[in-house]
Amino acid sequence: MSSQSVVFKPEISKPLLQEVMDRSGQNVLACYQCRRCAAGCPVGDETGVTPDRLIRMILLGEKNEAFNNLLVWKCVACYTCGTRCPNNIQTARINEILKQMSKEAHIEPLNPKVAAFHNAFLTSASHFGRVNELEFMSLYEIQNTRSELKRGGGWRAIVDKIKDRAKLGISMMKKKRLHFKLDKIKGLSEIKRLYAKAREKSVDR
Amino acid sequence: MEIAYYPGCSLHASSELYDIQSRMVFRRMGVELKEIEDWNCCGATSAGKTDDFLAIALPARNLGIADASGLAEIVIPCSSCYSRMIVSQKKLADDPGLKNTINAELIKKAEGKIKISSILEVLVSKANSGEIAEKSIKNLEGIKPACYYGCLLTRFPCDVEIPDSVENPQGMEIVCKIIGAQPIDWSYKTDCCGASAVINDTDTSLLLMSRILHDAVARGANCFVTTCPMCQLNMDAYQEQVGEKYGIQKRLPVYFITELLGIAMGFSPNEMQLDRHFIDPFGLLTELKLI
Repeated sequence: MSSQSVVFKPEISKPLLQEVMDRSGQNVLACYQCRRCAAGCPVGDETGVTPDRLIRMILLGEKNEAFNNLLVWKCVACYTCGTRCPNNIQTARINEILKQMSKEAHIEPLNPKVAAFHNAFLTSASHFGRVNELEFMSLYEIQNTRSELKRGGGWRAIVDKIKDRAKLGISMMKKKRLHFKLDKIKGLSEIKRLYAKAREKSVDR
Repeated sequence: MEIAYYPGCSLHASSELYDIQSRMVFRRMGVELKEIEDWNCCGATSAGKTDDFLAIALPARNLGIADASGLAEIVIPCSSCYSRMIVSQKKLADDPGLKNTINAELIKKAEGKIKISSILEVLVSKANSGEIAEKSIKNLEGIKPACYYGCLLTRFPCDVEIPDSVENPQGMEIVCKIIGAQPIDWSYKTDCCGASAVINDTDTSLLLMSRILHDAVARGANCFVTTCPMCQLNMDAYQEQVGEKYGIQKRLPVYFITELLGIAMGFSPNEMQLDRHFIDPFGLLTELKLI
């Protein structure tokens, strides 16, 4: 029987650990692996990697693993892990930071749809100051189709997806839950300035 | 009496009925919801997950407008908006540098004066003061709701004090009992329904909803009641799909808390626009002779 020992090299793990701690405001070092977070995580069954595992990856400086695991991309930000952590570590915040770091490093997201969804939402909010659901969903579908084609996805899957979405759209319309009026704010210039500031901040990193 | 009011994008679009009902129910209790001027999107889960600066800055503009309104309290029905606004107010208070950077871009500066309340907080105070009971003309006996709080009403990405239990909140139960409903005890009241994932990771969201629906049905609930428009739309529009996929036969109408209050106060289903539900909301009410 072979056993693999864990290699810990502080000089490798420190930069990642420090950046995650600084940006998320979470004391990752306080984790003593009690796994209360894992027990409460609603997506833990699906992701395999639970919050305690993710924290261990960060402590060991396993950068690729920390960016490319299902937990980071399936986390629903319900904040259960952090609420129950005896050491007050909010792993959902760490997931949020890892998504931002991987975007800044131009790493292809493990689930591009998740990234496309949140991008489309924020883009829509920047256009009119409020999110108009129809515009937001259209932006999302366009971005998604484009990235699916780029990854060599077949037309068939795309057409099926669009049919699916149209079905939802029609049932929403039947229930008068679709809104066609465009909501736009007067102070859009303030919103544009805040977005510009946000871009400045991400370039500074 | 006036309370500042932030409806958020959802209450201006897919959950417009919740906006209408909230105004009606509060007006009946003598409270005018004063929508703050020219508010913007709070950034919701998307900013929280992908842009730390916008996640604080977008709600900050609304907080500035709310502070300038001169009112002491703002009520926010959507759990996602409520969470983002309360986190932004706290982060601005904790980080004066960030507050200055953001305020420099704003016409109305966020000062951190206004008290941010969820709709439930305000309703619980109205239940305790007797104002809900006073305005109610129907007893909702026979309505056995699974009070569904979802994730964002009690849990936050940073330390926030709330006036209810984090793991087993009781606010909605208090309000429901005042109007005669009999809320059931169950295990999934603060579990996440995955509303922000339903479009981009549908299977995950359906799985989360299946657990919630399964427990509510097994405990004998005959409906859900919620305060969050994201939870309501998700559990309502996708329940048929969840039931089919996970072999759950029973369907439960998903009421906004304002709908149960509205029924108790004698508003008609028409006034409340109940026809905008996916799972039939009328059957149960008719059966109990409430409409």
